[in-house]
Amino acid sequence: MPFMPVAGHVGSDYERLRPDFRVIPDPFAPERPVMVVPAIRCDVALIHAIAAAPDGTLLLDHMEDDALLAQASDVVIASAERLATADELRRSPAGVVLEGIHVTAVVEAPGGAHPTLVRGVHALDAAHLREYAAAARDEAGFRRYLERYVLEPKDHATYLARVGWTAPPTS
Amino acid sequence: MDCTADELMAAVIARLVRDGETVGVGTLAPLPASGVLLAHFTHAPRARVIIFNHPDYWPFRGGSKEFYDFAQRGRLDLFFLSGGQIDAHGNLNLFAVGEHERPRVRLPGGAGSAMLYYLARRVILFRREHTPRIFVPRVDHVTSPGSSPPAVVRPGGPWLCVTPLCVFRFDPERRRLVVASIHPGVERGELARRTGFALEWAPDAGITPPPTPAELHVLRTRVREALAGAYPQYAATAFAG
Repeated sequence: MPFMPVAGHVGSDYERLRPDFRVIPDPFAPERPVMVVPAIRCDVALIHAIAAAPDGTLLLDHMEDDALLAQASDVVIASAERLATADELRRSPAGVVLEGIHVTAVVEAPGGAHPTLVRGVHALDAAHLREYAAAARDEAGFRRYLERYVLEPKDHATYLARVGWTAPPTS
Repeated sequence: MDCTADELMAAVIARLVRDGETVGVGTLAPLPASGVLLAHFTHAPRARVIIFNHPDYWPFRGGSKEFYDFAQRGRLDLFFLSGGQIDAHGNLNLFAVGEHERPRVRLPGGAGSAMLYYLARRVILFRREHTPRIFVPRVDHVTSPGSSPPAVVRPGGPWLCVTPLCVFRFDPERRRLVVASIHPGVERGELARRTGFALEWAPDAGITPPPTPAELHVLRTRVREALAGAYPQYAATAFAG
């Protein structure tokens, strides 16, 4: 898809602030202006799956946004709460199955979405998000947050230990 | 008045929902969600209710793409929007306060508002803070305009704006918000001081009818319980009783 028309938007400051969004005459009703937006083509997408199979099949959030993002990207690296067989993922009642042909690499990383949520697996970490929001109020606080949670932890396990992660009960 | 500001605003919103229509509530919108649920549990049992991030009120198999396609098809009768700034002309700013490249406040961005404001048949604006920094004479950036020239396809647009102090009505002739009713206990002078643009009053402007005991009861029981599925923290704090 080279570009896409979107309803609304005409006459807003998207026209001023987003020069890559264009207003053109609707080809089917030239008296009507319509906004068109360029396709998003990502080099790399990093997404987190509910579960992944070794062949790249993913079980993703039912909201589909991650599945669409993966299909718009050249390279897709998926972390996952757990590994499973592709057959098991296809039988799952929850979520959306994305076929492995769209996926470049899979990494087993429970807690990989922290501090955000994985619907149906664990909730978001509200206390940690509040800590981040408070830290991000000024540059020094943001730096301290970055040191403590991003730069210092040498690997994912250290990060999880530092944020006090406890694995959700397996269903 | 024996209710919280959120309860009053939820009751106002509930009375605006019509039975049988399709109503959508977006993200970060617990106030309209509670109003819509109150309507749904009372006079609008046949309304089709869509609440983002609520597992019981998401009548789609897919995600936001399916919802936005549905909205662009013109299927929403009623939707709710807000803004970091809202001006007298119903323009919404969700981009930034101050210069866009060097903002004083970076706002979350427009998401679907610049489409939904045009396509949902009636849009109710809401804000839980009524101060001059929110209700400004002119928004710094127009994420979504209150009105459009005739050539633009726009079947929908602003209808009302609900705040903790008053209800504004959008006058389509003058393309402007006018005070439709002032909440009980709010003085006209206070409303003027806390609004950044010059107030104009509808000829029939009166006092907002407060929630009835029956409405408050449903809000504090069924609505609170149902809302917790998407907004546990708001459900725990917004209601009295």
